[in-house]
Amino acid sequence: MLKITNYKNKIIFLSVIWILLLIAVSIWSVFTGQYPLTIKGLLDGDKMMLMVFFRLRLPRVIMGIIGGFGLSIAGYVYQLVFKNPLASPDIAGVSSGASAGAAFAIVAVSASAPFISICAFAGGLIALSITLLTAYAVPGKNKYTIILTGIAIHSVAQTILMFLKLAADPEKQLASIEYWIMGSLNGISIDSIAIPFFITFIGFFIILLLYRQILILSINEDEAASLGVNVTIFRFIILITATLIVSSIICVTGLISFIGLIAPHIARLLTGRNDRFTYISSGFAGTIIMTLSDIFARSLSSSELPVSIFTSVIGAPLLIILLIKSNKKEDL
Amino acid sequence: MKLFKKISAVALSMIMLISVTACNSSHSDSNNKNTTENTTSAFEIMSYFNEIGVSYPLTVTDQAGRTVTFDKAPEKIASSYYISTSLLIALGLTDKLVGIEAKANTRNIYKLAAPSAVNLPNMGTAKEFNTEACVAAAPDVVFLPMKLKKAADTLDELGIKAVVVNPEDQSLLKECITLAGKITNTYGRATALNNSIDTFLTSTKNDVADEKAPSVYLAGNSSVLSTAGSHMYQDTLLTNAGGKNVASELTDTYWANVSYEQILTWNPEYIIIAADASYSVDDVLNDANLANCTAIKNKNVVKLPNDTEAWDSPVPGSFLGSIYIAHILHPDKITKDFYESCVTEFYKNFYGFTPSK
Repeated sequence: MLKITNYKNKIIFLSVIWILLLIAVSIWSVFTGQYPLTIKGLLDGDKMMLMVFFRLRLPRVIMGIIGGFGLSIAGYVYQLVFKNPLASPDIAGVSSGASAGAAFAIVAVSASAPFISICAFAGGLIALSITLLTAYAVPGKNKYTIILTGIAIHSVAQTILMFLKLAADPEKQLASIEYWIMGSLNGISIDSIAIPFFITFIGFFIILLLYRQILILSINEDEAASLGVNVTIFRFIILITATLIVSSIICVTGLISFIGLIAPHIARLLTGRNDRFTYISSGFAGTIIMTLSDIFARSLSSSELPVSIFTSVIGAPLLIILLIKSNKKEDL
Repeated sequence: MKLFKKISAVALSMIMLISVTACNSSHSDSNNKNTTENTTSAFEIMSYFNEIGVSYPLTVTDQAGRTVTFDKAPEKIASSYYISTSLLIALGLTDKLVGIEAKANTRNIYKLAAPSAVNLPNMGTAKEFNTEACVAAAPDVVFLPMKLKKAADTLDELGIKAVVVNPEDQSLLKECITLAGKITNTYGRATALNNSIDTFLTSTKNDVADEKAPSVYLAGNSSVLSTAGSHMYQDTLLTNAGGKNVASELTDTYWANVSYEQILTWNPEYIIIAADASYSVDDVLNDANLANCTAIKNKNVVKLPNDTEAWDSPVPGSFLGSIYIAHILHPDKITKDFYESCVTEFYKNFYGFTPSK
């Protein structure tokens, strides 16, 4: 078996693997779906095929790539900043806030997709703002203050969600809420991908630029302060960037579980480090899991299945295999 | 003239049905004679069934396979399911209701046919049954949907007779109507209700039998991307109307979610939107993702009426949904006048109000 000892070679090897895998799953995804698309039909300019391809299929593939990438890099940042392997964007109550926002839209106003997205985005931001403001108002604050405040806000958002479910019409609104919470790329079209794309793109570079500060923060807060890093401000900027990425994605797709938690671990197990390449690898791992999950969600039956079922089914065994392999290496 | 002929034909069919039923009942010959002589409309015939009695003690098997025995006809009735509540109103039992399901004030049929029912104690929803409220209402019988089968067993332990109904297709609806009729000593009216439904459905099906069945996509309540497969009542609704459900390959027992691509692949000639949908016909017509669909290009998108009740759910009046869809799909065969008179006659005779046109 090929053994790569030099880290630079490992980076090159993994980069090639990531790119090849991404190309492979993207092509598979582009040619998977209920509408029978053919290369000949597309080249011949079949109007219906072109419409399906450019308006529905391609945006869905792109959303899978953006969604998987964004959720994973956000999860990676959370795990690093909080030095907690179980940390995910849920810690700040964002997912619960977005769910409550979506449920509010469905019950109180309208079940139209753009309105649900706006309310989910607003819900996520409100939850994050309250978490951060409350955390910074607490005397003697540290990174655990945010975690504890996040748990409290998460509970409040869950209570609001429960109340809205109770008020929902069981025949129509309740089903919409449940399905939104399960997450899907079902309703994605060209109109819905612009915001998540730009926010994830900009957020990715902001985090990349601040990567040194994130690493310092993850080692020791006192040391970071002595090195001239304003812990409070940087933590705020980093968390708000990661959370904005998550909000912009889940407001369009609904909740997608597990990717933000599992992809960073997969990347870390492959590189064995916490560097910038691991950060980018985390995004690639998430993208591939998400795209594969969406392929299965839309092709295993005529009706659409929730994508979260497959993110767990694909991600969990992959993580277990990598964990076993890395433990074996340590034993040797 | 055409309408008159059609209603007369249906009336004659009903008279034949009545004759068959009457032969098996304890009704006197003089009653049958009156029936034939006095009939002016098919629906009026129902009133002649009112005298068919039920003898107690009565043991029935409900639609969950549970056996329940009644010593006498129930005087106080509760229902935790809008379909059984609508059925009980159709059977003329509004005054005996002591509790109904939650959110009763959102259902037009109660406001129109049984305004007093709206303020009755709330028995909970199909997901969360309020056992204490039911015990407090002390009904002689409570009707529950299949989802609340467990609650039925709990009520049995508390000494309250519970009957589970599951009218998920046309024959189960018929069975449900008969069951409720027997239990509540309104068997005659229940038989009339079943016969009316049968007669008008058969007439509609016969009228469109030789027509080409257009492909239809039935869009669900929550989103245009949710639809009903072959295991749902809504599939029967379309088939009865002389349409072909494009989603019949789906075997989900609840609304299934599909993609825009799937709808474009099916490319239906008509899109029928569920009565309680949270979106409008214009929303669907203006949905750019469906622009190339035949139904959109031909503007063949309609929403089922919801001014009385949702006919896409298995309420007794759901056959009117089939007649409405048949009128949309085959306007030459099922005229607007026929559809409207069916609606008027049905609600006038069984629910006691005249719907606005």
